Parts: sequence; C-alpha cells; structure tokens
Amino acid sequence: MALQVYTASLLKEGLVAYLALENGQPSWTSDIHQATVSEEDTLDALKQAAEQSEQENIIVAPYAIDVLKTEDGIVAATKREQIRAEGPTIELPQDNLRESRQAA
Amino acid sequence: MYQYSEQDHQLLLERVSQFRGQVDRRLKGELSEEEFKHQRLRNGLYLQLHAYMLRVAIPYGLLSSEQMRTLAHIARKYDKGYGHFSTRQNIQYNWPKLEDVPDILDDLAKVEMHAIQTSGNCIRNTTSDPLAGVARDEIEDPRPYCELIRQWSTFHPEFNFLPRKFKIAVSGATHDRAAVAVHDIGLRLVKSDSSEETGFEVYVGGGLGRTPMLGKVIRAFLPKQDMLTYLEAILRVYNMLGRRDNIYKARIKILVHETGEEKFRELVEAEWEKIKAGGLFLRDEDFNWVKGFFNDPAYEAIPDNDVDFENLMLNNAEFARWVDKNIELHKQSGYRIVYLSLKTAHQPPGDVTADQMDAIADLADKYSLGHIRTTHRQNLVLSDVQLKDLPALWEELKALDLATPNYNHVTDIISCPGLDYCALATARSIPISQAITARFDDYDFINDLGDVSINISGCINACGHHHVANIGILGVNKKGTEVYQLTLGGSAREDAAIGKIIGPAFEADEIVDAVGKVLAVYLESREEPEETFLMTYRRLGQAPFKERLYG
Repeated sequence: MALQVYTASLLKEGLVAYLALENGQPSWTSDIHQATVSEEDTLDALKQAAEQSEQENIIVAPYAIDVLKTEDGIVAATKREQIRAEGPTIELPQDNLRESRQAA
Repeated sequence: MYQYSEQDHQLLLERVSQFRGQVDRRLKGELSEEEFKHQRLRNGLYLQLHAYMLRVAIPYGLLSSEQMRTLAHIARKYDKGYGHFSTRQNIQYNWPKLEDVPDILDDLAKVEMHAIQTSGNCIRNTTSDPLAGVARDEIEDPRPYCELIRQWSTFHPEFNFLPRKFKIAVSGATHDRAAVAVHDIGLRLVKSDSSEETGFEVYVGGGLGRTPMLGKVIRAFLPKQDMLTYLEAILRVYNMLGRRDNIYKARIKILVHETGEEKFRELVEAEWEKIKAGGLFLRDEDFNWVKGFFNDPAYEAIPDNDVDFENLMLNNAEFARWVDKNIELHKQSGYRIVYLSLKTAHQPPGDVTADQMDAIADLADKYSLGHIRTTHRQNLVLSDVQLKDLPALWEELKALDLATPNYNHVTDIISCPGLDYCALATARSIPISQAITARFDDYDFINDLGDVSINISGCINACGHHHVANIGILGVNKKGTEVYQLTLGGSAREDAAIGKIIGPAFEADEIVDAVGKVLAVYLESREEPEETFLMTYRRLGQAPFKERLYG
C-alpha cells in the first residue's frame, strides 16, 4: 500500500500546508516532514480531519498525495508535489541577489 | 494615455469595496470556496501551486511611471519583491495573501489600474503593438481603438459569462507585433483598396492551447465606425452557439472550425445587420474624444544625428551591440525606441524586481516622457528616447541588468511560469529557458544566428506561445518524467504559422543539445547570412533537422 499525507492550501495565505494529527488534534504545517503519514487504506482519520479544517475555513481544497519515506524523511512521490513541498526550483528574483552577482 | 473620468473612478472604488466585502465573508466562512472562487477569479485572483496569484491588467501594455511605481510598491509591500510580465502584456504577482488583496486593489485604483476581467470566461485585456503611436511602419495608431474596446467590453453584461475566455488584439502597423492571427479576434488596421480610408481586416478564431489555429479573415475591410457593432455581432454569435458542454471545445476557434468559415461569416453578418445602426455605431465625435487621449507628445524638433552618440558607436563595441539589437527607429527625427530586455541569465523571463521597477519608472521620467510599454514577448519598451540620451540611458540600464543585447534573438525566450508556479503545468519551463540562455550566451553566436524565436510552454495550454515560435518547446509529463517536445517553423508575425512537431520528445538534460543541433543545421544550411531561420526552415522543410536530431 502506498503511503500518503494530506495537503491543501491555507485559506488566508494560499500557502501549501500538510496535515499533522496529534492525539486526534489536527494542525497544518508548511513542512512535509511534519505531516502525519498513513497507509492508503487507513486514511479515514486524516480525511475527516482535513474536511473538518476545510469546513472551519482554515484550508482550501484538501487532497491526499503519495509519499515515500527516505533517509532524509518524507518525500512527495511526484515532481509536482515535490515542487509544492520545496518551493520553486529556481532562484527567486531579488534585488540584493542581482547586485551581488553583478559585483562578482 | 487614457485618463479616468469621475465615473470610472467611482466604478472602480465600488468594485474594490464589493470585493473587500466578499473576501471578508469568505474569511468568516459566510461564503464557501465554490461560491467565492467565481468572485476572486473575476478580480484576477487565482490559487496556484504555492500561493494565490494576482493578475493585474495593463490595458494594451501602456503604463505611466506613476503606475510602474505602484506596481513596485505592491511587489515590495505585499509580495516577495518582484513581479512577472506576461505574454498578454499584464503583470502577475505570485505570493499575495488573500486578506491583503483588497488593499492591493485599493492601491491599484489610486493609479487607475485594476485586475478586473483578467480571468474568467469574459473578454480579457485587449493587447496591441508595443510600438503603437511611434512606429515608422504604422498605418494608424491602434490605441484609441483599444481604449474603445476596453470601455465597451468592461462589465459588458451580455458577455460576462461567455462559453470560455475571449482575447482581442489590435495592430495598426505593417509588421504584426501583436500576434493578431492567434487571438479570438484580431483586428489589423489597413488601407482601403479604393480610398485612403483606414479600416479593419477582421480575423476570427485564432488561438493556441491544445488545438492551435490561425484566425480566419471574415471581413477584409470593416469601416472603423462599425468596429464595436461588428465585434458585438461576433460575440453574440459566439455566445449563442459556442459550446458550453466541453471546456476543450468551448473557444471560438472551435466554433468557427466546426461551423465553417463561410457559414460563420454569414451568421455574423446577419446579426450585424440587425445592430449596425444601433447605439454602438461610432461617430466622429467618439473618435475625436478618444483620440484626444493619444495625441503625440510635444516632440522637440531635433536632428537625426548626434556627435557623442556616433563617437560612442565607433569606439565602444558593447554599446554598438546594444544599439544594434535593442534600439528601433522612431517616427520622429532625433528619437529612438528602446527595448529593455527582461531576458537575462539572472532572472526568469519577464520577471522584474521592485527596485528595477522603480528605477525603470525614474528612467521613463528622465528619458522617455514618463511612459513605459509592455510587450507580448515579455520585455519592456521606452518609446520616446532622444538619440543624444542613449549613451547615458545605456549606462543606467546596464547597472540594472536590463541591457542584454538580445531583442528578437535566440535568448529572448518567451517562457510561461511552468511547473515552478502554475497549478496546470505538467513540466518546468523556466529552468529550460535559463539553460538555453546559459548555453547560447556568446554575443557573436547570437548575432550570427540573427532573428530567431524560442518559446517554451510548461503544458498543452501553451501560455508560452510555443506553437508560434520558430523553435517551440512544450514540456509534458511522461510517466512521471518531464520531457520536452520540439516544434519548428512557427511564427506570430504577419507571416503567422503554427509550428510542426519534429519527432519524439527529449528529456530535460537533452533538450538544450537538441536546440543546439537545430541551430547548427540552420547555420550550415542557410544560403546567405540574411536568410533567417524561418526562411531556411521553410525552404528545406523538416527533413534535415529531423535527420540531425534523430538520424
């Protein structure tokens, strides 16, 4: 069975978030490594908690994604979800970054 | 440029206030996401891969320096310090918070800007020639017509829920710099065969995406007075008959294709007959009023030469390269048009930082009568620079990393945001554009290649316009791996063409080499240096390129 975590976007910020369940209490974290991992056939608790958070207007559009457990921790299985977890794979434009490069 | 009336200001403030209320209700849970989604999209707000994305309209690509400073302020205060100029001459912010968006819209409204109709199934921002009003090959300035279309289409109640989004482009010059043939409606100002009167050649049903098509000329000459009634007739036919059952077949290009060009023309003409004498018929006073906003500035009477400029051209090769690549002649003696390249090795195509935006606004005030244009190739233009000021302007642009001499050359790459930002994308496009830019960064090679376009899209929706590039790259996901398909022979200009797929896709680490092979075949095969890539391709066809790539 594939391992899965629940992800969504935070309503206020739009940022990527992952569901962590501790003693049945849900919280949403930007760090995929902190997410609660479940097997595909035992996802019900995560699904219910995600739907509850959606109803409470904490997050938008939750869904489950496949993940892998590696030496470095939890890694999303697809490139799309890896980019969601880690951010853009390019350097974001920054004024000081450009200036330091020009100086170099 | 157009100045808002009191009514315009009022309309915008009411709209911002409405949206503030909608955001508030959403955050309190009084609106569901499904209910709110339609409202936010009507205000240009998407939910993308990492965050919300706000698309701000820049009507026909025209900005004042004051507006540019506001765009910088928004980037700095509400986003991550940069913005992205898109292929529809708009700007996108990639990281705004929902709760901040009403304040952003308030700030935009203060400088007569907004995000209305930058998303959703409505008439989007009308695009145009970035050299409008200053080009030497211009038949007539298209901006007054763009403004009339903007006013007609904004909040048009009949066309607020079209089968799909709708894009209009207007060009007024001999050379097409607005890609009119790949728009839902493309209007080209032309001279009548029988008189000196100008009117419109009307293209309908062009578009890119998964089914790329060139627009069909459904009217060779439309008198200008009839522009809005004819547009209304086209939109009515589309609104009535366009498919709403299948999102992939909902654009007008599919309707024109399935109905047949002749039948579609008959339907439009029949509808037009009913409304052509109605209230949208344009009178002389309508034209006089709107043209008053686009009068020529008070150009100085100055000679078309300058000793200091000419000396620097002779003595500074770097300056001469920039002039050769990024400067165009102006209709007015002693003035030049300057392209600011947003295609450097340091930033994604079309991206500009807040400090750069502020500096560009200052340069526009100092050297170019306070105006900036955006281009559909994701660059900027200072349209009214005096020849004598070019050396000083070049020094300042170099310091800002905006003087790469590559306009319309191989590293002037159009790229969509791709999988690094976009929720629809299936592959990354920015890293590929950066890899190509890094590989072909030698000026002599770029210069030798001459006029050639490379466009990259990160999915079949083709926001990177890969179909109409001389060399198009489409990123797709094949069994979990990003691969890149090459198309050759496209053009977005007056000789518009849809490129053809050359063969099986390449992996990410192969695609730059593949582009290199295509360019090598061109250099080896051209009959003379003046023969462009597209001319060579059209003369030889795909065979030699295919042989080199897959042979």
